[in-house]
Amino acid sequence: MKSAESGSGPEAVFTDAVAEQLADTMFALSTPSRVRILGCLLGGPRSVGDLTEALGMEQSAVSHQLRVLREHGLVRAEKSGRQRLYGLWDEHVSTLLQAALDHAARPHPAARSAASGSGEAAQGVS
Amino acid sequence: MKPAQSRPGPEHGAGVIRVAFGPPTDRRSLLDRAHRGDIVGALGRVSSADTGPRLGVRRRLLALLAVMGPGVVVLVADNDAGGISTYAQAGQDYGLRFLWLLVLLAAALLVNQEMVGRLGAVTGAGHARLIYERFGRRWGAFALSDLLVVNFLVIVTEFTGIAFALGYFGVSRYLSVPLAAAVLISLPLTGTFRRWERAMYVLVFVSLAAVPLIVLARHHPTVVTAVASGSRHGPAGTVLVIIALIGTTVAPWQLFFQQSNVVDKRITPRWLGYERAETGIGTALFAVGAVAVLGACALACSGGPLHGAYLDAGAVADSLRRVDGSWAGALFAVILLNGSVLGTAAVTLSVSYAIGDVTGTKHSLHRSWRDARRFHGSYAALIILAAGIVLIPAAPLGLVTTAVQALAGVLLPSALVFLLLLCNDQAVLGPWVNPGWLNLIAGALVAVFLILSGVLVISALFRGLAVGWPAALGAVVVAAVAGAVCGLRLTVRDTVPPGQREGRSCWTMPPIESLPAPPASRTRTAGLVILRAYLLITATAVVIKVVQVMFGQ
Repeated sequence: MKSAESGSGPEAVFTDAVAEQLADTMFALSTPSRVRILGCLLGGPRSVGDLTEALGMEQSAVSHQLRVLREHGLVRAEKSGRQRLYGLWDEHVSTLLQAALDHAARPHPAARSAASGSGEAAQGVS
Repeated sequence: MKPAQSRPGPEHGAGVIRVAFGPPTDRRSLLDRAHRGDIVGALGRVSSADTGPRLGVRRRLLALLAVMGPGVVVLVADNDAGGISTYAQAGQDYGLRFLWLLVLLAAALLVNQEMVGRLGAVTGAGHARLIYERFGRRWGAFALSDLLVVNFLVIVTEFTGIAFALGYFGVSRYLSVPLAAAVLISLPLTGTFRRWERAMYVLVFVSLAAVPLIVLARHHPTVVTAVASGSRHGPAGTVLVIIALIGTTVAPWQLFFQQSNVVDKRITPRWLGYERAETGIGTALFAVGAVAVLGACALACSGGPLHGAYLDAGAVADSLRRVDGSWAGALFAVILLNGSVLGTAAVTLSVSYAIGDVTGTKHSLHRSWRDARRFHGSYAALIILAAGIVLIPAAPLGLVTTAVQALAGVLLPSALVFLLLLCNDQAVLGPWVNPGWLNLIAGALVAVFLILSGVLVISALFRGLAVGWPAALGAVVVAAVAGAVCGLRLTVRDTVPPGQREGRSCWTMPPIESLPAPPASRTRTAGLVILRAYLLITATAVVIKVVQVMFGQ
């Protein structure tokens, strides 16, 4: 994106800097709890209280993970009245999530065994 | 690149475990991608894919060189401005009387720093975040604000040290302090861990100048009479110096710094043996530096007219020059300058790490200014603020030094209590929890630190009531025994089945938010409540003491 000056091949787009940036973004998806929060936000902006209730997580944990997601530019906060609502940054994020979901649903040879625990499996997706 | 681990740790499996060829160990509570990957140390590199056994002395040595860093930096940084002036004061006013204490403190440091190094490698989370998650928001905020206040004061003393040291060479503080601040701010800005660590190694190397200092000081003739002459201070003053020595040596920022630095350096449980070894090396370097400074000042100053007349670190350099020659004075100033710079770098970084850790923002030396503005920004802001305070004319900075060390010494027990509880939290450390013998030692240490703070309270509040040595010694012994028993009771039994100890090097903490709440135990809660009350009282007592001293009692 930044250095699209020379050539048109993918190697020209995926420079070191861009690769770092993408890897950072993907890192934000590398913990099941953050993936679940993002999944929750697919339906539209929610408050921390809503998320806490929907996910059955500690409120402090939800807040903390939301901060990480904001830091990585996947989630943004907006004020509506007194409440702070958190939503996906833009439609790219929902596209990304949808694609990841489709990717995980596809039966692929590398998937070793489904018996390795559901909570941990989500991590392999990213 | 291998995908992240998607299987449970092998220690849960029943079969044979060949850890040596397992996949790279991934710590799953990391907050920053920069904390994952190859170890890129100042003196070497270890690939994250390097999971095979390290055979042969040479390859092991190479791994040690690559891993070496966090422990060495934190422990040498311990001989910072506050440390060096406290050793100098103890040496000048009390001779070699407190040498034994330094040896004991080195042992205590080793125990503490090994524990935080282990926490960092196994959990991948910083100390502040662990306290938040395992003790709740209030204790987390308490620990963090504690760290902020004490660290800020410590950084002020570091800049005082810089001003004194360069003042010895005739440089105005209005030049030296801003210059040092600029250099310090630029150190981590490059965004490469290796460059930062190399700069730290240069400072570590210069700290060895303490060795020639003691060699120069040895030729002083009045040594023997000096040691025997004792001090002019009352027992309360002696106790205060002991607590200042402890406060300057065993400080909370070290715990936070080493844990975060181990995480940032990407050290996993696979390399924990090397991490322990380098912490040991660091301890030895600390002991050499501290003993040399205390010894040199004791030999040069006690018995003579300067004995008992400690003013400040700058005056120490002057008196060393008069007694041992111009080389000694210059060496002391260089050691002071070097220690202050190294201390500032580490102490400030511990705050920036902790802030990033708690707020979930990027916090890594692998990141440049553009990449992690809040991390570098908080670091720079803290340095500028502290440097600014030192430049205010006629601030009583020598007194600040003593006050800080005493305050840190009083606040230390809380940090150690958290540390000990965390190291016995099976959800956090799994097979890496403290063994019984370590709890025995660590429990005794925490209790001794607690009781010494208590003695400080007594001597501060009831000035007529002199604390006799037998009473103090008795209390310390009783506390050590009680602490050791408590430590033993904390020990988690049967952590690892005998045949599976090898699997430990793959075990990391599960994602921190998925951990079960720590088992509710009444002793734990009660202990924390008592700790809080105790802290309030002791901190107040120190403030009273400082005010009394200020108004010339």
